[in-house]
Amino acid sequence: MEQKTRQVLIAEDLRKSYGPRPALRGLSFSLHAGRILGFLGPNGAGKTTAIRILTTILEPSSGRFLVDGVGSDRPEEIRRRIGVLPESLGFPKNMTGTELVTYFGRLYGLSAAAAKAKAATMVEAVGLQARGRSLIGSYSRGMRQRLGIARALVNDPAVVFLDEPTLGLDPQGQQELLKLVTWIARERNAGVVLCSHQLPEVESICDDVVILNTGQVVVQGPVAEIIGSADQATVRIQVPATAVAEAEVALAGTSAVARVAASGSAGWLRVELVSGSQAAMNGQHVHNKLLDALIRAKIPVLGFQAGGGRLQDLFLQITQGAIE
Amino acid sequence: MNREQGAAPAGSGSPTWWIVFTKELHELWIGGRALTLLLIYSLLLGIQTYVLASNSELSLIPPNEMVYETLKGAIAVGIFISLIIGADMISGERERATLEGLLLTPTNRRQIILGKFLAAASPWPAALAIAIPYMTVLGQGDAVLRPAILWGALIGTVLAPAFTALGMLISYWCNTNKTSLFISLGVYILMLLPAQLPGRAQTGAAGSLLQQVNPMASHAHYLSKVLVNNRTFDEFWGWLVAPAAFAVLVFVLLFLYAGPGMSLEASKAFALRLGRARAQVAALLVGLLALGAMPLLAQQTGGAQASGQTLPLTIDIDLGYKTVKTTDHVLFNTVVTNTGTEASPPLSVAMNIINLNAKGDVVDPEDWSPQRTQYMEQLGPGQTATQSWRVNAILDGDYMVYIVLLPAPSGPEATSHPVSSSGVHLTVTPFTKLNPRGVLPYAIGGPLLVLVGIVLIYRMRRRRIDMGGSE
Repeated sequence: MEQKTRQVLIAEDLRKSYGPRPALRGLSFSLHAGRILGFLGPNGAGKTTAIRILTTILEPSSGRFLVDGVGSDRPEEIRRRIGVLPESLGFPKNMTGTELVTYFGRLYGLSAAAAKAKAATMVEAVGLQARGRSLIGSYSRGMRQRLGIARALVNDPAVVFLDEPTLGLDPQGQQELLKLVTWIARERNAGVVLCSHQLPEVESICDDVVILNTGQVVVQGPVAEIIGSADQATVRIQVPATAVAEAEVALAGTSAVARVAASGSAGWLRVELVSGSQAAMNGQHVHNKLLDALIRAKIPVLGFQAGGGRLQDLFLQITQGAIE
Repeated sequence: MNREQGAAPAGSGSPTWWIVFTKELHELWIGGRALTLLLIYSLLLGIQTYVLASNSELSLIPPNEMVYETLKGAIAVGIFISLIIGADMISGERERATLEGLLLTPTNRRQIILGKFLAAASPWPAALAIAIPYMTVLGQGDAVLRPAILWGALIGTVLAPAFTALGMLISYWCNTNKTSLFISLGVYILMLLPAQLPGRAQTGAAGSLLQQVNPMASHAHYLSKVLVNNRTFDEFWGWLVAPAAFAVLVFVLLFLYAGPGMSLEASKAFALRLGRARAQVAALLVGLLALGAMPLLAQQTGGAQASGQTLPLTIDIDLGYKTVKTTDHVLFNTVVTNTGTEASPPLSVAMNIINLNAKGDVVDPEDWSPQRTQYMEQLGPGQTATQSWRVNAILDGDYMVYIVLLPAPSGPEATSHPVSSSGVHLTVTPFTKLNPRGVLPYAIGGPLLVLVGIVLIYRMRRRRIDMGGSE
């Protein structure tokens, strides 16, 4: 268990500016072996810059970081200790999956025979053994992502960076890939940094989370604690689009409701509750009251989402809806 | 399954450049790009060979000229192939998003560049090998074949990798392949253009300098002098300085500056590396330009030495000896220079042809050349004038051709001293002709062989991989 608590990634006050424009303003966090860190933020928050600094593609303007005890002043040594799946990773179409992983194994210093054996193991580990001898040009997006992970693991990294690994995958593909990510952390005992805009998936598999906004960390800590701190005074209700105005009136008449506003065109309403009403009236009871008001007004309830309790709510709250 | 803890081993496998080289070689040859380009190249060469053979019947082109033309074409297209393959090497990886994966490995950037460079330069030996049968059939046993292969291999092996390096440099500075290929094509056309200028534009002082500093024009000039005009290396080595200097320049830029600075985005790499290197690059460019202009300076120094003669006029000829078949023709130039400090009188330049066989026919120069005498006005101090001459080989035999420069006497009671050029020893052999139908098997066979190579490699590759569809 001691190994599981080992810090494999420490970032200390990392800053980066492109000319006068600051892209990263003092990023500090740490990651332990065997844990998955969700790295979140709206577009332009500085995630890609941070990942590129931590993977030695970019140099920070100031600050430092350590990967598995190796300082950022030794980029080549750091590269030996990390595995990366960039967001838009390309593949040579005329190589097979096994050939590609073998090639990267050799670039990490393995002999030809050792790299070949390692590639076979990795290709099998990501579930591509049946297609390892096929040309990458014939792979689906999900297969390419899995191949990218096999490539990222070929050097047995201490830290694995995955940038939007499930982007463009169907739900089944997403599930399979998330299982793979969990396997990397739990079974291979690597620290995983997962960049994603899919907040439910981050919530489901991440242990810790760092949320960036405009280049600074706005929230960080264990996922469970972060979610618990979210404002739970919001409810989203979906009614038929033709009944939105009627529903607004019905809900506004309920004592616990502070404000009702239509949200989008699909009949969703955002209901803000009076501060402290959950505590006073028991949250569940307040929700019942809202539903009761709609039922009395003979308005069909098509959907109901209790606010808070989800990473997405917290994220929207912090980043002011930037992602949506 | 638990991972084995610890970092990837350092240096226990092959060197990085070798790993990158073998992978790029695989991509280039097994992927089919090199073979496709060589197929087009062999088709072009086949067409050129057939056209030359046909023209040799109609226009009486001598074998050494046909060999020279084929070699010139082979080097020009070989250079082009090297350039465009090089132009894809870095920007192509950026565009296909494969560069980031490579940069994330703990490898030396310069070694990556070296591996890519060696692979990109690999089509040139194949291109030269493909050209040899064509030159052989066009050469018809002429002694020019051996020096043509030797000089072609030497010059091509300097220029083709140099253009590969140039393509990679352009690629290093571009984010997209389209830009890289467009700029490379532009540079290639710019370098090719001076050779297409009218003759007078090429022989003036500026034209001559342009030719000498342009590696494409200067190597072609050297080959034409050595292979067609039978001139020697000692006389024309200066024309090889530009190709060599060009190669040094691009290799230095690629390996010393671009190599270590290779990064994900071109603009940053360019600004960073060039910003640091500006002064050194400028110094290198000036040095290499001076090197390229060396032959011209040497030529002018040679002219100044001639001013020690009694008459301040010299006449130089650019051909020493030549063997041609009956009905062939010989082209050469003379350059008249006024090395004095005063303007010369009006000048006449006359051609003479002497049969060296005492028992042979007397030569009537009227039958042998449309240009017997050329006239010119005064030549200012330091000025030069170039004359072009054509001699038709009418009868087989052993001849000497020479040109005499005659300054106009100052009056009826004065005379002047003629100045003679060195002679052109002309050996005319009996008439033979090349049957273009005999060339056809080579013209068709070359591309066919490359095509067979493509099919074989494709079939071998199919056996080693699964050809399954998408999941």
